[in-house]
Amino acid sequence: MSEELKNKAKELLTNKKVDLIIGYQRAADGVLAAPCFIDSQDDAEKLIWDSYCVYNLASYLKDFPAKRKGIVVKVCDLKSITVLLQENQVKREELLIIAASCPGVIDEKRLNPLDQQAQEIVFAGKCKTCKTITPAYYDILINEPQKNDKLSEIGQDEYEPVRKLEAKSIEERFKFWESEFSRCIRCYACRQICPLCYCPKCVAEQITPGYFSKGVNLEGNLSWNITRAMHLAGRCIDCGECERACPVGIPLRDINKKIEKEIKELFKYEAGLSVEQKPLLSCFDKSDPEDFIK
Amino acid sequence: MLRIAQKEELQKMIDGFLADYEVIGPRELPGKGIFYQPITNAQDLYLGERFAIEPVKKFFFRPSEYLFEGGLKEGSEFLEGIPLAQNKRMIIGVRPCEARGLALLDKIFNTEYKDEAYVSLREKTILVGLSCQAPGKDCFCTSIGGSPVQARGMDALIFSAGSKYVIEIITDKGKDIFDTCPKEPDKEEIKAWESLKEKSNAALRKKIKIPESLDNIFESGYWGKVSSACISCGVCTYLCPTCHCFDLVDEERKKLRCYDGCAFSDFTLEASGGNPRPTKMERYRQRVFHKFDYFKKNFGEHLCVGCGRCIRHCPVKMNIAEIVDQAPV
Amino acid sequence: MNSLYLPHLAQITGIKQETQDIKTFKLALLDLSAGSFFNYRPGQFVEFSVIGEGEAPFCLSNSPTRMPKGSIECSVKKIGKLTQALHDLDIGDRVGIRGPYGNGFPVEQLKNKNLLFIAGGIGLAPLRSLINYCLDKRTEFKGITILNGARTPKDLVYQDEYEHWRKAKDTQLHLTVDCQEENWACMVGVVPKILETLAPTCEDSVAILCGPPVMIKYTLPVLLKLGFCETAIITTMEMKMKCGLGKCGRCNIGPLYICKDGPVFNYAQVKNFIH
Repeated sequence: MSEELKNKAKELLTNKKVDLIIGYQRAADGVLAAPCFIDSQDDAEKLIWDSYCVYNLASYLKDFPAKRKGIVVKVCDLKSITVLLQENQVKREELLIIAASCPGVIDEKRLNPLDQQAQEIVFAGKCKTCKTITPAYYDILINEPQKNDKLSEIGQDEYEPVRKLEAKSIEERFKFWESEFSRCIRCYACRQICPLCYCPKCVAEQITPGYFSKGVNLEGNLSWNITRAMHLAGRCIDCGECERACPVGIPLRDINKKIEKEIKELFKYEAGLSVEQKPLLSCFDKSDPEDFIK
Repeated sequence: MLRIAQKEELQKMIDGFLADYEVIGPRELPGKGIFYQPITNAQDLYLGERFAIEPVKKFFFRPSEYLFEGGLKEGSEFLEGIPLAQNKRMIIGVRPCEARGLALLDKIFNTEYKDEAYVSLREKTILVGLSCQAPGKDCFCTSIGGSPVQARGMDALIFSAGSKYVIEIITDKGKDIFDTCPKEPDKEEIKAWESLKEKSNAALRKKIKIPESLDNIFESGYWGKVSSACISCGVCTYLCPTCHCFDLVDEERKKLRCYDGCAFSDFTLEASGGNPRPTKMERYRQRVFHKFDYFKKNFGEHLCVGCGRCIRHCPVKMNIAEIVDQAPV
Repeated sequence: MNSLYLPHLAQITGIKQETQDIKTFKLALLDLSAGSFFNYRPGQFVEFSVIGEGEAPFCLSNSPTRMPKGSIECSVKKIGKLTQALHDLDIGDRVGIRGPYGNGFPVEQLKNKNLLFIAGGIGLAPLRSLINYCLDKRTEFKGITILNGARTPKDLVYQDEYEHWRKAKDTQLHLTVDCQEENWACMVGVVPKILETLAPTCEDSVAILCGPPVMIKYTLPVLLKLGFCETAIITTMEMKMKCGLGKCGRCNIGPLYICKDGPVFNYAQVKNFIH
């Protein structure tokens, strides 16, 4: 699979179809993957594709404005590109989408950091309920779809963790999140890794006015985490990168999924399904049942 | 000076410390990792081989703290310092790299201009270390002047030796607290301890070379290349035992000091809109130079302890050890 | 407990509108005992705060020879949140002051030298402190040449002092603006161009410059061409400085911290790091 990818990449660079390819290479530890940016045929040898390729590379698209970018994507990553296209953040003609059929990726947090060898793969939570393995659209498809039998536990409810939280009383729920957010160190890795957090000036950095405390305290941490999630309402495509990037293990996907579920129920809307779809919260419809919008 | 204690004896001693000290140590939060937290019982402590995600730095140079308050009193402005914490603390289970990190932070905060909040917390805290016997794959302390058994910056250092613990007492403070442990190791036990130390050192396999100076490659295209994957978050700086950059913010008429980091795009952004470090290339280069060049020029050693946290927790696997090792000097 | 970052309270005793967006504040420390250790040198700076709004560094813009003990002057250009809050203050209002910080100008090195001051816009503020200092100790220095530029005549700061500078012994003042305007009798053109035409001597001379980055960038090569050696070009730099004490980690140029090792540097010290 990696070979096929390398050959395609070389071809694209030789024929000047793209200026660079955003893909994956083996990390320095020899086990994990790391993002890479390939602009020469020789460098294309570095490209890999396997279950360690966890990153959603769409967050790097903004780093290369006005360049023709080849980008290696999984099903979930492509959905974030769909939203970026919908929101006019990238130009389709600058993108060459190299879709890789996805065997499911690892749950990095389950790797034992003390272990120096490759370990048995534990799949990421998002992969366990993922229904497709081949992206909806692409320019180039790498490899035949092959479903990993360790995955797709058919019938598994993707909202199970959310339902568990919903079953708690308000007090219990608040206590739960208070305790989870108390570990937040405000490193903003959740924001920086998110392909859809692209505001030039984030609300967390504004000082006139300052919206919430920069301090690591309940008010600041709660405000930040809730604002982040709310700003992704109707946009988050559940790539799970925020939760993966969080160094202190805050279950950010649970908040994202809760909002996703509400939006599905209220508006029959799912983010990232098609470019033609109108962004849910940035347009309005005269037939909206709420009065305030008319 | 050495002492030896059975596991139960050590636990009893720790329970004894709880009467006089606020005791902080590594605790395991299931599914989340190891976190330093106050304990109420010696059983709470996790004294295994995994490392805490956040270093003990946060108990001295705090992620955020109020330094003073100001406002209007009887119609005119006032400014008043906020009283410093007075309680005696003990942190148990500190790793050699983290304690060494504090020794480096002292060079910043405990100088001619004393940072009182930091200095008073340092003075009021006893540090009891725990040696590393199974260093992680990202650890590289021996390449940068440290070791898994080094006692620098600690009052005492504990080694886990089977069912027993060997306690190396470093300072008078350390001597005072382990006064209740009268038993000294015998010749055999000392021999075993020494071979344990050798084994620990040998278990640390990652070795890197650090260039004498980076002067000649400030302008190199290398920095643009190696920084391209950086997402400009604060993981590496906030989790680093030696990163000490901070921001001062006015909130609710109080002065808040909180962590800040060179990776953030607004770290050096000026009110005029100018920014001397406009892209992640300049920012990442600053991080590497500060740690592996500037600090040595100013203070005689590198601002890194090789703990590997920035590598282990980087969301995109940036690896500063490899980047420094392969720098094209 | 006194924090290292706790400012002294000071009262505004005078405000002068220099230009549309620049005001000069005269301040007196309230605690006179603080005044006793508040000795400063030209070129140093203070962290100036509006309590509850924020804090930022400003250079001390007048010579210690012209200020009563415990009094200072700072010139502030309205540019952001804090400077807006500063501009909203009145005489009698109270602010916070920390400092003085930084190294200041190497006055000893300047003695018995020809001094060439080059300023752009509000960059004249730190130089004014040194100019007035040198004029008050006139015999210790040789010829003084001041080249001061601004975008328009209205943007020139400290205009009421020009007469005094012109009249001082062996002192020349050249004013220039970027674009010609009505009733403007002095020069027109950007500072580096004017400097080229003036072509002041480099013999026994030291150039001291401060201004926007673009002015510095194009003036440095002119000075080098005129024969000034790298150590005879002195500049005072500015970056975001939060602590003022070399701890918060923002303002370094290479291994040097602007707040602690600067803000005054000679060109040889910083040439590898500024572009």
